[in-house]
Amino acid sequence: MTFGDAFFGLSWLDAIIRVLIIVGAMTVVVVYLTWGERKVIARFQMRLGPTRTGPVGLLQGVADALKLLSKEDLRPRNADRWVFEFAPYLTFIPVFLVLVALPFARDWGVRNLALGMFFVFAVLGLNIVGVLMAGLGSGNKYALLGGVRAAAQMISYEIPLVVALLAVAMVAGTLDLNAIVLQQADRPFVLIQPLAFVIFFTAMLSELHRAPFDIPVAESEIVGGYFVEYSGIRWSMFQLAEYASLWAFSIFGSVVFLGGWEFPMGLEWGWGWQLALTFIKSFIIIGLIFWVRVTLPRLRVDQLMSFCWKVLIEVSFVLLLVNGLFLVYEWPEELLALANWAGTFVLLGAVYLHATRKPERKNLVGSYKHAEVPTP
Amino acid sequence: MSDEEQSVEAEPAIATLVRGRLPDVPFEASKTKSYADLRIAPGHFLALVTGLRDDDELAFDLLRNIVSLDMEDEGLWAKYHFYSFKHGHALQVTVPTPPGAPTIPSLTALYPAANWHEREAAEMMGLVFEGHPDPRNLLLEEDLRIHPLRKAHPLQKAEILQGIEDGPPGVEV
Amino acid sequence: MSVWPEERVTPNSDLDTVDMTVNVGPQHPATHGVFRMVLTVDGERVVDCEPYIGYLHRGLEKLSENADYRQAMGWWDRTDYLAGMCCEGAYVMAVEKLAGIEVPERAEYIRVLMMELSRINSHFMFLGAFGADVGSFGTSFTYAWRERERIYDLIEEVSGDRMFPTYFRIGGITMDLPENFESRCRWVLGSIRQGLEDLDGLLTGNEIFVERCQGLAPVTPEQAIAWGFTGPMLRATGVPWDIRKAEPYSVYPQMNFEIPTGHQGDVFDRFHVRLAEVYQSARIIEQCLDEMPAGRVLAPKLAKTLRIDDGELYMPTEGTKGEYGVYLMARGGTQAYRAKLRAPSFSNLSPLKELVVGTYVADAIVILGSLDIVLGEVDK
Repeated sequence: MTFGDAFFGLSWLDAIIRVLIIVGAMTVVVVYLTWGERKVIARFQMRLGPTRTGPVGLLQGVADALKLLSKEDLRPRNADRWVFEFAPYLTFIPVFLVLVALPFARDWGVRNLALGMFFVFAVLGLNIVGVLMAGLGSGNKYALLGGVRAAAQMISYEIPLVVALLAVAMVAGTLDLNAIVLQQADRPFVLIQPLAFVIFFTAMLSELHRAPFDIPVAESEIVGGYFVEYSGIRWSMFQLAEYASLWAFSIFGSVVFLGGWEFPMGLEWGWGWQLALTFIKSFIIIGLIFWVRVTLPRLRVDQLMSFCWKVLIEVSFVLLLVNGLFLVYEWPEELLALANWAGTFVLLGAVYLHATRKPERKNLVGSYKHAEVPTP
Repeated sequence: MSDEEQSVEAEPAIATLVRGRLPDVPFEASKTKSYADLRIAPGHFLALVTGLRDDDELAFDLLRNIVSLDMEDEGLWAKYHFYSFKHGHALQVTVPTPPGAPTIPSLTALYPAANWHEREAAEMMGLVFEGHPDPRNLLLEEDLRIHPLRKAHPLQKAEILQGIEDGPPGVEV
Repeated sequence: MSVWPEERVTPNSDLDTVDMTVNVGPQHPATHGVFRMVLTVDGERVVDCEPYIGYLHRGLEKLSENADYRQAMGWWDRTDYLAGMCCEGAYVMAVEKLAGIEVPERAEYIRVLMMELSRINSHFMFLGAFGADVGSFGTSFTYAWRERERIYDLIEEVSGDRMFPTYFRIGGITMDLPENFESRCRWVLGSIRQGLEDLDGLLTGNEIFVERCQGLAPVTPEQAIAWGFTGPMLRATGVPWDIRKAEPYSVYPQMNFEIPTGHQGDVFDRFHVRLAEVYQSARIIEQCLDEMPAGRVLAPKLAKTLRIDDGELYMPTEGTKGEYGVYLMARGGTQAYRAKLRAPSFSNLSPLKELVVGTYVADAIVILGSLDIVLGEVDK
């Protein structure tokens, strides 16, 4: 029996078993992602990270989970009870739904939907409802600020995310995730659609509330934002949702852009290599996300919104138009790739020039290399 | 604390300068271990400070510090320290208030820096600054009416300070 | 009695909205100590800001009136607890000037060395914490802390304690520097320069950091002087005033160093001025190490308990945050009649409302961070 057939021939049992496997895998991955993040960030910050719980701190995630399970389940008196209690579930369920549609290897996935990409977009929006419920239902002004900021941010950044992925779907000609992977047998889409990858990565960071877009959970200002009033197991649901969506998005990104389980040599070398490829690629993207988090300060909410509405949306629509032109007139794919790379360089070049344009920064008096004494 | 004027030759140069620029303001000059000190009554204080700030030769634009003092029988005093960026000279001004009437005009309109310094002096010592826009307690509790830095409240004696009202600010019962 | 400002209806708006009061309470990771401010926000814009201080008031001035001059010093280095030796130095120099005690030259050099090390310590704390305020998740924190730990090791070697050294005495210092202190100190200076390069690369060139900080809360020199700003806050506006050069004390007249200034007094300039000052302090420390004479470290023939006759003085020093001034009045006896601390953070913090109103909530936190206050000296 290959993994492609239904388990025991019963489609309902098969669905349950596959779901349970995914849940198990996700739990383990999330626990070790928290460990991995702490170790990676610690190394960037010249320290070690968890070292005491188990060898190299490997049991840290388990220790955290045990601690959170044993905490008191608090609910503020001002909180709207049912909104407060259901918010974590609404944040977590969409993530899990996304995992249902993703292919981990040739036949390894819960269901292979013909409209896989569309399904992923659709359920992403439910996340926003959960966040907003948490913010409004907590009875806390910090939570409200965080929830409102989060809602505005997530809604705005959905647009470039979806448009960039649509551009890729146009080139692939299908919304079926398995088919998209199969089309990348020769070259991953990141090589012919780099601009879409850049937009996807930026928008994904924002959907995940990750630095530099982590203003809804700005630790140093509103101390946790929308989940500040949650403790114990409810809070761990939020964290589970965050890390699971991190992993889900990374797999999604690797499936659409990096070649998923196929590139290179996926079909020839069997499902073991395919699984390994998926995991390696998703961890590459996760590593990039951690790196960006530990290095960059956070954008302020108006800068964030203006970046989305004034830069990313324009660029993603231009990308869609250009892709459309190339596909309608059936110009060769190499030209499309060239146009895309040109677009990427233009965008990154513009950002670089913008970053280095300010004259005041060049002539700083008192820069520690050239301190001077001005005449009074 | 020397409270008689020194002989004219020993009067500090800055005091002579101030006297020359502001002849109508009566003050007594003396020297401290750091700066020259001008002692002036509360009634003429505002005129002196306005002159110190606005005059070109004096140009004291920085109010550095306001110290409140409890001189027991001699009343509550306040000392002000000024500095001039233009000329680089510094000055101390002492304003003694008579016992029972610890009122000094506020400098907040002339120097916004005086705002918090005067609030602190008022709550700690009980000086009353007329014309201060916001005379609430700053470091102590909002409703505390005791003035802790007064010599009448010795440190060693344990006192219950919460909720004790001792009359309008500046006057202790 | 109400401690909350009244909620007011947003004027000039078609919607019937009410401004929200947000309490950035005494316990908060961003407020650098026990400080409370109540922000009234209209959406994300700050409309009003009311700072509340006094949570760390310990009665320094009253305590100093009830202890010997020598005993009181122990409380003074707890005011600016990030740079203990600078505060000790100010108090001890004021007492010596009042009493007319002369300090041996070696002790003066060691004092200046220690004070500059403390200044670097405090500035690194600012650089680290400010990066964290702007949101760089603590990477700047750990870079700065590496240098601070090395400086703390030096201070511990010299005095036995890291934060509250009580190393200075009236008339000199407690004891001489340990053996081979100089080589370790020079090594630490090299590490400090490397740490500055790291922090500079991490933050100053970062576009997001610059966007967040540049043009935020600019202050003109006239405004700064009227508000009583001193120290890096004033130098960031362009006024090159440093008490170590303007009203020098100890052996600073013999030191070669420059005064970094900024252009427009905004948050970015304040950051940059403090970054540059670390480099200048490192220069001073090297000069101290090069020029230190041999000799005594404590003035000879000091009385067991110091008695000072009538006199008063105000001694301004360049503390790490600005003008750290000590006012002392003696009226005979072994205890001061009045001791007052002119705290730089107190004056730097007072115009917080004018600086913050009109900016975003996130900016309010960044501005508060750029003031670099330490609540020990604000609350005395």
